[in-house]
Amino acid sequence: MKYTGIEKRKARWGYVFVTPAVVLFLMFSLYPMLNALYNTFFNMKLLSLKPPKFVGLANYAYILTSEAFWKSMKATAIFTLGAFIPLTVFSLVLGLYITTRNRGQKALQLMLYTPAILSSVVAALIWMLIFDPRGLGNAFVNFLFQTPGINHNWLTDHIMLQISTITIYVWKYIGYFTIIYVTGIAKIPQSTLEAATIDGASAMQTVMRVIMPLLKPTTMMVSIVAMLNSLKSFSTQYLFTQRGAPLEPVNVVTLNIYNTAMRDLNISRACVMSFLLFFMMMVLTLVRMKSSERDVTVY
Amino acid sequence: MLRNKTLGSRAFNLGFNGIFLMVILMVMVPIFFMLTASFMPSSDIFSMPYRWIPKSVYWKNYITAIAGNDRSFVFIRNVINSVIVASGTTIFSVLVSGFAGYGLSKYKFRGRNLVFLMIMGRMMIPFEAIMIPMYISAVKLGLQNTYTGLMLPFILNTFGLFQMRQYLMTFPDDILDAGRIDGLGELGIFWRLVFKNSTPAIATAAILCFRGQWDNLLWPLLIAQKEAMKTIPTYIVKFTEEKSSDEGAMMAVAVLASIPIIVLFLTLSKYFLGGSAMYSAGKE
Repeated sequence: MKYTGIEKRKARWGYVFVTPAVVLFLMFSLYPMLNALYNTFFNMKLLSLKPPKFVGLANYAYILTSEAFWKSMKATAIFTLGAFIPLTVFSLVLGLYITTRNRGQKALQLMLYTPAILSSVVAALIWMLIFDPRGLGNAFVNFLFQTPGINHNWLTDHIMLQISTITIYVWKYIGYFTIIYVTGIAKIPQSTLEAATIDGASAMQTVMRVIMPLLKPTTMMVSIVAMLNSLKSFSTQYLFTQRGAPLEPVNVVTLNIYNTAMRDLNISRACVMSFLLFFMMMVLTLVRMKSSERDVTVY
Repeated sequence: MLRNKTLGSRAFNLGFNGIFLMVILMVMVPIFFMLTASFMPSSDIFSMPYRWIPKSVYWKNYITAIAGNDRSFVFIRNVINSVIVASGTTIFSVLVSGFAGYGLSKYKFRGRNLVFLMIMGRMMIPFEAIMIPMYISAVKLGLQNTYTGLMLPFILNTFGLFQMRQYLMTFPDDILDAGRIDGLGELGIFWRLVFKNSTPAIATAAILCFRGQWDNLLWPLLIAQKEAMKTIPTYIVKFTEEKSSDEGAMMAVAVLASIPIIVLFLTLSKYFLGGSAMYSAGKE
């Protein structure tokens, strides 16, 4: 064999190092993805022994014209908008507040972050008891508005149920996004802020005219990551509907996929919805990548 | 940071601080509620005004939580399952991420960009979009109710891998060359010089993976139908479905399920926060 230079030997080791990841990618990402696409053109049923029949685009036509699917999309849109807007705004405000504190920054961050480490199921469970007709939620709201004895139907009324699931989600992830802002703000050089102060900017002006524009990439990042995560929300909605909450207002796409596949055993239709979810998320991710390329902040 | 003296009078500051401290307190209230309610009989949980300090410690909740409704103590097995699945996935995923991150950052080979693009593309595929075909494959391969089945789909952790690559891009080449001159093989260099000196990146990736697995509900719901193979989240779902009235015991289950992850959080909080901070570079 001919002498192969050190570069060639190194290239071989490069292949060795990436092989496990590539194999896992092919087996557990690419293959299931293509398989899902393939399934959408057949009428696959779970547990069925009959060979699946080719149906062309019939599944797509069915899903896109079905009222249930659009209701589910509406539930997803309400949840996503309802969760990501407060998450982005509140975490920005909290992030700004934490960085202005002289003491206890670390402790505040840890406290805010605690809900994020709990399991979603545990979070849903805690709030289920808080939202019980006899529970803390009613007591608190009635105390706030001085309306004793009213039951706000947190888990049965359609709109209240949507508010409840959104509340849980915002509560759980607010700390997570606050940390992103805290890190983002910490990256703004002290000298920039000092310059603003020397030029006579008030605190409000510093925040609005200096910090906010410099934080634009972070804000973009937070809002899209929050949106992507809320699109995938499943646990709270699943637990609540298992416990008897009405399905329709919280029938988010992931829950719909799960129910279509596991309860209705209709694999193909579940795969169509999976694909639509994938496209939505892909568009959002591409927007994020594009924007982070464009908005590289120079201080 | 922005310790601006012109932020207004002290009184304004005080009010400002008051509002925010209230908000932060509100975030903590549900967690205190979980803790206190776990020591109360169900009737006390719903007697308003709520007693933030329980009258007496009601241990029966914890006994019910651990023994289960049928006294089968399957909860203990489920906790062990969660520990095995979460740690197993974490260990394997960190190794795979370390390997690939190293290969992608320190070696030049044909197709390297393709591999990198694949990894980036993987981040766009939500697990929810591919879980059904994976489930069918897992059933065909007989991986239902096995640890392998529970762990395999999550060993490729793209966020962890991406982070390892970014971290190793700045790893000094001189150290690697020194290792080569001293006669270390490529694997030896990876293990002794690179892997052992990448603690921050590894810890962040590991925590990210562990927490995700500890929280994972959807996949175990599909794949672990047998009681003995369930993990904590699926146990909780089953427990609440069976026993709809014993709220005290439910909170006890919630507390027990949270203890391991909270202990981990308190000891390694830096890396938990690091996983979140990863996003904030303006570009990833």
